[in-house]
Amino acid sequence: MSAMEYAKELDLRNLPCPMPVVKISKGIKEVAVGQIVKAVTTDPGALTDFPAWAKTSGNQIVETQEASGEVRFFIKRLK
Amino acid sequence: MEASLRDELVRLFDTKLSRQMLLNLETCSRCGLCTPACHAYASMPLPKYAPAFRAEVVRRIYKRYFTALGRFAPVLGEAKPLTDAALEELREAAYSCTGCRRCMVYCPFGIDTQQIMSIAKLLLIGAEAAPEILSLLADVSISKGESIETFKEGFLQGIKRLETQVVARWKVEAGTTPIPTEVEGADMLYVALAGAHSIIPAAVVFNAARENWTLSFFEAVNFGAFVGDPGKTQLILDRIVREALRLGVKEVCICECGTAVRVAKQLSGTQPFRVVSLTEVHARYLREGRIRVKKLPGSHTYHDPCQIARNGGVYDEPRAILGRIVEDFREMSPDPKYNWCCGGGGGLVAMGEDTLDFRMRSSRVKADQIRESRADVVVTACENCHTQLENINAHYGLGKEVKFLSSLLADALVAP
Amino acid sequence: MATLNYLILVPMVYVAVAVFVCGTLWRVFRLLRSPRLATPLAIYPVKKPGWLYAAGDALLLPTVLRHNPLLWLALALFHLGLLALCIGHLELVADIRWLQIVPHAIFLGKGAVGLAMFVCLLYFLSRRMVSPTKELSVPEDFLLLVLLLLTVLFGAQMDWARNWYDYSTMSVDDYRAYLWSLVTGKPSIASVEGAGHSFMLVVHVFFANLLLLAFPFTKLMHAIFTFALNRIRRG
Repeated sequence: MSAMEYAKELDLRNLPCPMPVVKISKGIKEVAVGQIVKAVTTDPGALTDFPAWAKTSGNQIVETQEASGEVRFFIKRLK
Repeated sequence: MEASLRDELVRLFDTKLSRQMLLNLETCSRCGLCTPACHAYASMPLPKYAPAFRAEVVRRIYKRYFTALGRFAPVLGEAKPLTDAALEELREAAYSCTGCRRCMVYCPFGIDTQQIMSIAKLLLIGAEAAPEILSLLADVSISKGESIETFKEGFLQGIKRLETQVVARWKVEAGTTPIPTEVEGADMLYVALAGAHSIIPAAVVFNAARENWTLSFFEAVNFGAFVGDPGKTQLILDRIVREALRLGVKEVCICECGTAVRVAKQLSGTQPFRVVSLTEVHARYLREGRIRVKKLPGSHTYHDPCQIARNGGVYDEPRAILGRIVEDFREMSPDPKYNWCCGGGGGLVAMGEDTLDFRMRSSRVKADQIRESRADVVVTACENCHTQLENINAHYGLGKEVKFLSSLLADALVAP
Repeated sequence: MATLNYLILVPMVYVAVAVFVCGTLWRVFRLLRSPRLATPLAIYPVKKPGWLYAAGDALLLPTVLRHNPLLWLALALFHLGLLALCIGHLELVADIRWLQIVPHAIFLGKGAVGLAMFVCLLYFLSRRMVSPTKELSVPEDFLLLVLLLLTVLFGAQMDWARNWYDYSTMSVDDYRAYLWSLVTGKPSIASVEGAGHSFMLVVHVFFANLLLLAFPFTKLMHAIFTFALNRIRRG
């Protein structure tokens, strides 16, 4: 698992629906285009929600890491 | 506002003019009986929060473009053209209404404010002035439905990780999958939300009842309904209908999400499967003796989610469950039909922090009702209500515990 | 003056009745022509038979009784008064034999019904002048109340203030003669002109005409729509 540089980290663990997507949508706007946000989640649904969200909102998931019951998404702001 | 946009919005308005809608728009006598029915008005007595006032914001535009009186003598009905200022009024009216339909219980005619607000929401979509986040959430759901194969693998991995937690609470026989997916010919398709909390307790109870079930790839919540887009609402629901038909299930069970339950029950059309809420399924297990439970200590009260109870008719089932699993149950409202809305419906909770201030100010009466119940635990069966009740609990310092009914039932399970 | 009286008592009545009937039918037709949503829009619990409960909701206003008993009393009195007055006017058509039960001088009810409605209407108006009903009200609401008030006032006046004028010259038979001439299409106002309080009849008919003209274009349509809408709420 490589260390990934990121501009912002979001803790999205154990949040009610649809907060993970709401918070990442807000969070991504707080970094500059080209920068990366790290989002940590425990939701199984996030594994489908985040890629679908990235596709819809036009951002890019550059890496997905899974460890100790959590998933870490590294998302690059593209626009 | 440009003339072309105005014409387009009037056309959109026209698409909403069903027989029911015309009745809703043309019957109000502005008697004001609905005024105290709204939790927003009861918490903050400003005329703009009176249901008839909200409806009038839409009605004024209706009169201007669709009625003789509004065209020829606009002053009599205060008919107003569609302008940017009118859009702003529509936005405030629609997104301060949770669609709880409590005002319908007061109205002598039965005017449906939620239906009228659906026009306001559609016009806002047409003018690209709908809350961005709700549109985005709806689009994410649709995108998932369109390319499920791309996302399937990730979902299955996520589900696998939950299985140990399910088994830790209820052992399944060797060879049985704790969270089954893609089971063709299963009796029941369970449609959950993204969060583990809407999957684990439900799975535990299904396994305890030896249900032949399978978990849906999709989340139950319908953001199309929140943003008020009939087309997207149907697309999001169709993903689930298609999955249910493909697997050939007899029942589609919707998780604890009020909007999801109401949309799936009332918009699925005639299908070879039945749509039921998780609460109804749980009540059935208890009635048929398929699960055994113990009584949990502590005083509990139940918050009826508007879309499940007043607008869906599920009143007796949660009470039947609570009667079996808690020692001390206290009603929150003498008549559940009159239960105050939590203040989080209609997409307000999904809009997150942006609406928090309004949600807290408009739910003062709910906070009072919870306080007066004198129960330690507030139980509910809706994700939105749960989030809002947690917020109320913190904001008003109520010191209660907020729990999902399904989670409480899973806690009360005992081995046969 | 005589021409104006004639215009109000004859052509305007015909026009008002025609607009009332056609306009109302058009509104109902427009409703029936629009697509019906298949979505259930009931408030639960749903009780059967739905039509019976819906009719009960529309006619007895139980939700008003529960949440505002004073308003319910006024509404009940007002609408029952309206019903009584409709019967009273039909009774003036002597050829409707089965309605001719109680012999009377001027009009059934002797203006008491009108007085009761007058009081109710004042109450409705006063409600509209205070918040929060004030903010909900639009000019149409005030206009209709004022029209009703004037119609009822001058209608009842013909009975209770008749002693102030040359009362004895206009009796129930004169009203009947006028009304029957309208019904049969041979209009004549001879029987109702010339009395000291003839002008009251003219003013009464004038405002009643305006109400009939307004009916299909205003919220007065709730008289019909309430049944359909309550039916939807009852599932």
